[in-house]
Amino acid sequence: MTAALAPATLLTADDIARLLPHRYPFFLLDRVTGLEPGISATAIKNVSVADPVLAGHFPGRMIYPGVLLVECVAQLAAVIYGTAAAASAGEDVVADVAHRVGYLAEIRQAKFLRPVYPGDQVVFKAQSGTRLGALISVTGQASVGREVVMTARLAVTERDQED
Amino acid sequence: MALTLAATAEAARARQEVCAEMKTLLVERLTLDVDAALIGDDQPLFGRGLELDSIDTLELAMAVEEKYGVMITDDDTDSLLSLNRLVDHVEANR
Repeated sequence: MTAALAPATLLTADDIARLLPHRYPFFLLDRVTGLEPGISATAIKNVSVADPVLAGHFPGRMIYPGVLLVECVAQLAAVIYGTAAAASAGEDVVADVAHRVGYLAEIRQAKFLRPVYPGDQVVFKAQSGTRLGALISVTGQASVGREVVMTARLAVTERDQED
Repeated sequence: MALTLAATAEAARARQEVCAEMKTLLVERLTLDVDAALIGDDQPLFGRGLELDSIDTLELAMAVEEKYGVMITDDDTDSLLSLNRLVDHVEANR
């Protein structure tokens, strides 16, 4: 039913689930709307009151946790290198490459500029930078409407083999 | 062609300048708790030297690329062993 999706959709949630090992309740991105494999990507996440994390963060004052915004950027980074690995193996950009996902190695200069509430649609942008060995630097940004709500620089790792 | 004494002195001075600049870059980008002037040119950057780790090297590679436009790839990680080697790499590729 691809025709029912917004034209900007590049990767559906099901596509993302093939690229990432994450599953509920830690599968965070709803849709990828822009993608240059190995370079950059854009994704959206709709924050819903149905998300169980909001029951505890906080009762009576629901705010989407800032650390999860950082995790969204890390997951988007995995989409960037996962699709690059799939493409360089001569496959479609969507393939079963979830085993390549490594670790979050560093969070640097994370800024949370305003809270994110249920009902917000968060747009994430991630850009892959310098790479050294398995380490990849990533700059990320989250925004709601025209407002930037979070910026961060991360280092993530990609697993090449079964290590 | 042999270098004149003045040219040699000038080259040495320029080298020292780049070394000092690199030490400041190291301390600032990696927020090291050391005085840049106290870092030795041949001091190892890892282990018992400045005790950098692999995540610091990624940050350092980014900093060098931004400041000097010189890339450090997996093939030249030897250049990250000491400050002198790093400056050699930058000067050779600038």
